[in-house]
Amino acid sequence: MTATATPPQTRPSVSPPSRREDLTPARRARRINVGRIIAWAALIVLLFVTLFPFYWMLRTALSTNTALYTNAGSLLPVEFSWGGFSRVLGLSSPEQAAAEGGTTGSINFWLYLRNTVIVATVITIGQVLFSSMAAYAFARLEWKGRDAVFFLFLTALMIPPIFVQLPNFILVRDLGLLNTLAGIILPFFFMTPFAIFFMRQFFLGISREVEESAKIDGAGHLRIFFRIVLPMSSTPVFTLALLTYITAWGEYFWPLLVGRADDSRVLTVALGIFRSQTPQTGPDWAGLMAGTLIAALPIFVLFILFGRKLVDNLGYSGIK
Amino acid sequence: MRTTSRARRTVAVAALAAAVPVILAGCSSAGSSDAADGKSITYWLWDSNQQPAYQQCADDFQKSSGISVKIEQYGWSDYWQGLTTGFASGTAPDVFADHLSYYPEFVSQGQLLDISDRVEKDGIDLGIYQDGLADLWTTQEGGRYGLPKDFDTVATFYNEKMVTDAGYTADQLADLAWNTKDGGSFEKLVAHLTVDQNGIRGDEAGFDKSKVTVYGLALSGNGLNASGQQTWSPYALGNDWYYGDKTPWTSSWNFGDKAFSDTLSWYKGLIDKGYMPSVDIALSEQDPLNGYLAGRYALVTDGSWMNGSYLGQSGVPTKVAPTPVGPSGERASLFNGLSDGIWAGSKNQDDAWEWVKYLGSAACQDVIGEAAVVFPAVKTSTEKAEAAFTAKGWDVTGFTEQVTDGTTKLLPIADHWSDVNDTMKAAIESYLKGASDASALKTANDQVNALFK
Amino acid sequence: MNTRTRSLDTRAIVAPRTARRRRGDARIALFFIAPAALGFIAFYLVPSLRGIWFSFTDQNLIGSGTFIGFDNYTRMFGDPLFWNALWVTLEYVIINIGVQTVLAVGIAVLMHRLTRSAVVRGIILLPYLVANVVVALVWFWMMDYSTGIINVFLDFVGGDRMAFFGNENLAIPTIALINVWRYVGYTALLVFAGLQTIPTQLYEAAALDGASEVRMFRSITLPLLRPVLALVLVITVVGSFQIFDTVAVTTEGGPINSTRVIYYYIYQQAFERFDLGYASAMSVFLLIVLAVVAYFQLKIMRSNSSDLA
Repeated sequence: MTATATPPQTRPSVSPPSRREDLTPARRARRINVGRIIAWAALIVLLFVTLFPFYWMLRTALSTNTALYTNAGSLLPVEFSWGGFSRVLGLSSPEQAAAEGGTTGSINFWLYLRNTVIVATVITIGQVLFSSMAAYAFARLEWKGRDAVFFLFLTALMIPPIFVQLPNFILVRDLGLLNTLAGIILPFFFMTPFAIFFMRQFFLGISREVEESAKIDGAGHLRIFFRIVLPMSSTPVFTLALLTYITAWGEYFWPLLVGRADDSRVLTVALGIFRSQTPQTGPDWAGLMAGTLIAALPIFVLFILFGRKLVDNLGYSGIK
Repeated sequence: MRTTSRARRTVAVAALAAAVPVILAGCSSAGSSDAADGKSITYWLWDSNQQPAYQQCADDFQKSSGISVKIEQYGWSDYWQGLTTGFASGTAPDVFADHLSYYPEFVSQGQLLDISDRVEKDGIDLGIYQDGLADLWTTQEGGRYGLPKDFDTVATFYNEKMVTDAGYTADQLADLAWNTKDGGSFEKLVAHLTVDQNGIRGDEAGFDKSKVTVYGLALSGNGLNASGQQTWSPYALGNDWYYGDKTPWTSSWNFGDKAFSDTLSWYKGLIDKGYMPSVDIALSEQDPLNGYLAGRYALVTDGSWMNGSYLGQSGVPTKVAPTPVGPSGERASLFNGLSDGIWAGSKNQDDAWEWVKYLGSAACQDVIGEAAVVFPAVKTSTEKAEAAFTAKGWDVTGFTEQVTDGTTKLLPIADHWSDVNDTMKAAIESYLKGASDASALKTANDQVNALFK
Repeated sequence: MNTRTRSLDTRAIVAPRTARRRRGDARIALFFIAPAALGFIAFYLVPSLRGIWFSFTDQNLIGSGTFIGFDNYTRMFGDPLFWNALWVTLEYVIINIGVQTVLAVGIAVLMHRLTRSAVVRGIILLPYLVANVVVALVWFWMMDYSTGIINVFLDFVGGDRMAFFGNENLAIPTIALINVWRYVGYTALLVFAGLQTIPTQLYEAAALDGASEVRMFRSITLPLLRPVLALVLVITVVGSFQIFDTVAVTTEGGPINSTRVIYYYIYQQAFERFDLGYASAMSVFLLIVLAVVAYFQLKIMRSNSSDLA
């Protein structure tokens, strides 16, 4: 993807608002018309459809399992109970759990949370750092075969994950890293095609003047990259980091293959196992929904803290 | 620079977020740790309800043998995938609960340890088990791959109130018959129990089969496979039909037989008349249990492993009736057994064998029986289980009488079972949906037979 | 550092850009690329080559395999379930991408013209933050025939309950729509970012001329969005072909194979039949299909460079 002429100065957060104060009052009155109302209605429907399942998760999580079937239509939690949450957090005794129709398997929730945090954090740090470095090489350094190699890396995007997961599984096994966090982290630690692509797009778009002047100053590429370019790119780096973190947090199949034992299990896998640990009375929906909400909670928090940035800067993934 | 302070703040937040769970993980108790003298084996099972009882067995076993057993439980689908991954990675458990559908493939992959020599050497008495169970786990070459663990049969759970309101007694329910012509007393009952949204019963005038609120008989989406265990098997097996030429190690199949298509045709008739939900509905449900508890089904055919779910809940008063008598003059139920097998790649084969021996003994199976969750394979333990069920106030004779009367049939055990299952599942689903006719069943049968040439 | 670079700005403009740079960079480039290259070779390239090798053998998941030439491929082309899988996957991709793209553009335009609220943007991104398996589970629960809230609601308003996962005509569309729910927010934000590059003057001028919103959309927005849309389409189509989690959690390929998508079929061959060779052959085929699709999509994009420039 070659950079087009549009320079990166049209940053989204600077765009003018859509209010048309410069129109004549007559024109403005016409704007408050059926079309607008329909548009708003559509937006509200959209928000409702988006949010309702989350509400439903909460409502189910706060209900008692056995009552869920008899009061299927109730919009509020049925037989309100914190049981779902306490089971997932490992705070329930088997008797309490059985009484509420919940799974009696044990959940090492904090352990799984710790594992997921470690995995996601390490993957994010490694992937962002190494992919940025590679992206810089593709964007700003001149060397023979540069574009061909980049294209090769890009084709990795087309590879169906399962195709490489099984040979990777054998590799990780041979390295003796099965059932370790390192085994889970390894394939994602160095790069993904998307990350390189993403950062390269941005690097292509930043102005060369700063680098030029630093070069004239005698700075080598290393210093230029770490001292100038990277800090300048804090926003897309940050965006990429957030995206990577979210993706790593939600990885399921690979950790399922490689990290099955208790001490290397991550939350998604634990949830999957929790789900299929159906006690005789049917799936433990309350526990499962509670587990889902809790597993998603850290991401929600991250998003609330840094989401605005993400939302503002998704544009750097190659629009230019 | 602004960016670095923001970056620093980010790192600080991330570090804090990362630290909290690490600290908490340290504080919370992890899983139980084990062995005194270092002898330890792993054991896998999938039924969480049985886990406490097996833990008891493990504790007793440790006291008597000094070997500690670490029990891990995974739900059904994760269980098998985990086992497979374990085989491939060399980290499979030493001992695991084995199921007849999967066991042939494990044998052909060489993943199960042949215990026939050990059984002989230690003089294990195979007569203590219910008839036929021990032989399920042998191959034509004389290998033996597991000791019987427990068994299950199929019966009908019914909503007591609905049945009484419809004017039937428990005795009548125990005495039903069906046939391919008019469905017999069984279909009459099912029709009468079906109610549409205007309160009209299935056998009354004005019944609207498109607006049914209570179905007389539930249909299990999970059961629409090649074994039909909790769906059509009690009927087909009672119509002088069996899946294949023999079991174990079925090598030719009978899904193209008229007896089979006649049974399915009658079964489909129940759907067409509105007494049983359609296949579409069955596949859109988690389990008929949900609908049953919500009052949408009057009768549910299911296996004895669901005793806890149906008899242990207090929302709907439930009783058990045996499956109806078929045209063969007898009732029928699939007889499924589980065993405990040793992984061929286990590094603790001797210890694993000691555990398997213990699991297969009356000592452990009595404990399982008294927990009133399943029917153990050892005859004396089965009696203990029956007593335990009765003590709970659950009448499970609907399940056990088929064993005592000898009206059970073994599940087919065959190579390529996954392929047979996939092919027949699609064909049976298609037939019951009315998308194809009996000739499609024959075609599918030819397909699966071709696998065994 | 700031003062130094500023004072050197003028000199930078004068300094020549020479081709001398080309040779010097190779060594440093090696350093920059090394970690990523290691990752690429170890976890993408070598496994792919290994996978391609497996496709020519009868490699078993648990044991070993021997070379069998093109047998897996011949078997594949004669396997009705394989073609069924491709067809089902195609159905899925068309519905999923079709609906998702239309909705994404619509949402992006709504956000662009109606409200710039960050809260709105945040909310529509929420489904993306939840793990795939979980999304599948929640919808499966909500669409349960007997006790799912959606069917209870349908019943309540006097309509007919729908067997979303049990009816072979509804199953794939249902799964497609569930995934639309999951990804449309993310896609919409990508399109939205693209919309930002369209100068608002164009809209204002058109508005002054009396153009309606719909007209502006058709004549201004859509044409200028083409490169963005093309890019978004490449990413989403490739991802869409690899649908797996939802199927594994809800229908497991049924009813009557109507949801046995190619990825799920490959998984079954590897993990239930232990036939890694065959699974690899199908993966190779899928890889080629994806590459071809992406190539054509990119070609279309190149030929329509931005009308802005």
